[in-house]
Amino acid sequence: MSLVRGLTQLHEHPAVVARWQAWTGPLLSRLTPPRRRALLAVGALYVIVRRPLKEMAPAVDVRAPAGPLAGALVVVLCLATVVAVYLAARRFTRLPAVVRNRPQIWLHGAFWAIVGLGWLVPDGAGVVALTLSGLVLALAFLLWRMGYLLLSGQRGRMAGTRFSDHLLYVYPAYGGSGVPYGKGLDHLARHEATTDEALARSQLAGLKLLVLAAIYHGLLALMAGLVYAEPRGHWSAYGLGVPRVEALLPLGARGPWAAAWSALYAGLVWDVLKLAARGHEIIGVLRLFGFNVYRNTYKPLLAPSLVEFWNRYYYYFKEMLLEFFFFPTYVRRFRGRPALRMLAATLAAAGLGNLYYHIVFNDTFLLTLDLVGLRPWLEARSFYCLLLSLGIYVSMRREQQRRGATGAGGPASMPTRIRRIAGVWTFFALISIWADASTATFGQRVEFFLSLFGVR
Amino acid sequence: MRQRHRERLIEFLRTIQKPDRPLDTVAETDSLVASGLIDSLALLEIVAFLEEQYRIDFAAIGLEPDQLTSVSGILDLIERETR
Repeated sequence: MSLVRGLTQLHEHPAVVARWQAWTGPLLSRLTPPRRRALLAVGALYVIVRRPLKEMAPAVDVRAPAGPLAGALVVVLCLATVVAVYLAARRFTRLPAVVRNRPQIWLHGAFWAIVGLGWLVPDGAGVVALTLSGLVLALAFLLWRMGYLLLSGQRGRMAGTRFSDHLLYVYPAYGGSGVPYGKGLDHLARHEATTDEALARSQLAGLKLLVLAAIYHGLLALMAGLVYAEPRGHWSAYGLGVPRVEALLPLGARGPWAAAWSALYAGLVWDVLKLAARGHEIIGVLRLFGFNVYRNTYKPLLAPSLVEFWNRYYYYFKEMLLEFFFFPTYVRRFRGRPALRMLAATLAAAGLGNLYYHIVFNDTFLLTLDLVGLRPWLEARSFYCLLLSLGIYVSMRREQQRRGATGAGGPASMPTRIRRIAGVWTFFALISIWADASTATFGQRVEFFLSLFGVR
Repeated sequence: MRQRHRERLIEFLRTIQKPDRPLDTVAETDSLVASGLIDSLALLEIVAFLEEQYRIDFAAIGLEPDQLTSVSGILDLIERETR
């Protein structure tokens, strides 16, 4: 056990850190925190142009053919919006009280006003229509990042920071999805290496994540071949041919029983590996630049409880939901009733916040505001969010009770631990039925679920 | 005064800490969650403790989770809000 631990923690061994410092000595000394930030800011200049153009691609498909003018306008308008939010954050105390009290609601309100405006403009309006649609999609990517920027202003943390510092995470050269990996500047700065040794440790930890990411990509390729028997995977000729959940859901109760269960568990492992690989790449690069932040995914398949899985599976998404939904609800609602207080906050974060986040990234809905077309997706996703919230809530309550009970006892036995882990796998595999991006209706998903237990 | 707050806080942390991690080994500035002493869920209990014991109104001042992850961070918050 100690040998395994020694190998996995090799990057923290003093001799390894010293060797790395010796190898990269002059480079480490020159890469001071301001210089490292400057490098990422230079990278952000590319992202300022590239990302909005990438995000607006679905609008180009829906509306008029892309012209360079619309693309240029989207890039400039996005940057202008970020500058406006930055100035608001800097002068936060001078904002009207009504905005100061609910800055995030104002930010999201402004976003939806632009969505509404884009919807009102007819498709035939050429560059104007395409620019507005492109702006909506590009702003969706920036939305939560600007939220962290405003939060920084609200907490009085803008002093001593420059616009270029905030560009690091608003336009991340290290990559990312709509979720800001590494959160905002407050969090990044708190984990920033300030000495050569700390930078060496951070870089070694980053390299470790990049190696793990490469291994996970290899495992995904193996899984694609050996489990799913897909031609793009390795050794697909020997593959088991487990179907994808997405393919089974439209069959409802007609899907083969054993294949259905296999598909669900395999899908869970696939999703975890995929998210971990991508997250490790992003956090790995951040660590190379001296921001030694937590990894996004940390052994969720070994989590002994639902809340622990949720904490380890997609850390920065969970943190975002905590910051913007859980805590604001927790400190304001049902303060005298602990259980109800926790339930309300959990529903606000894992339920409402989770659903809202995915609506903001539903390109088709943003462009059309077609509620009827959204309905099948919304029904399934809402149900998934409800199940997830209730599961996490029950798990949190049980953890609290268990902590009190094991105060005198000790860690759980191995069989108990395995049983708990199996329960966690089963819960998340089952609720994924309503989260999968399949075209299946809500009814078909329910039929599929019931068929797993022999109800057809 | 800080020492008295500290004693009260440590006494409370002992009731929510994980059984296999001695509190004495964690430095005042160490992250309580990262050091494995408490889980992230325990932050909610720290919030409830501060509301109850020190009448800190997080709805008014805003809740910054990073402030509550170390003993020194919590003590700074108590001092600031009870001044």
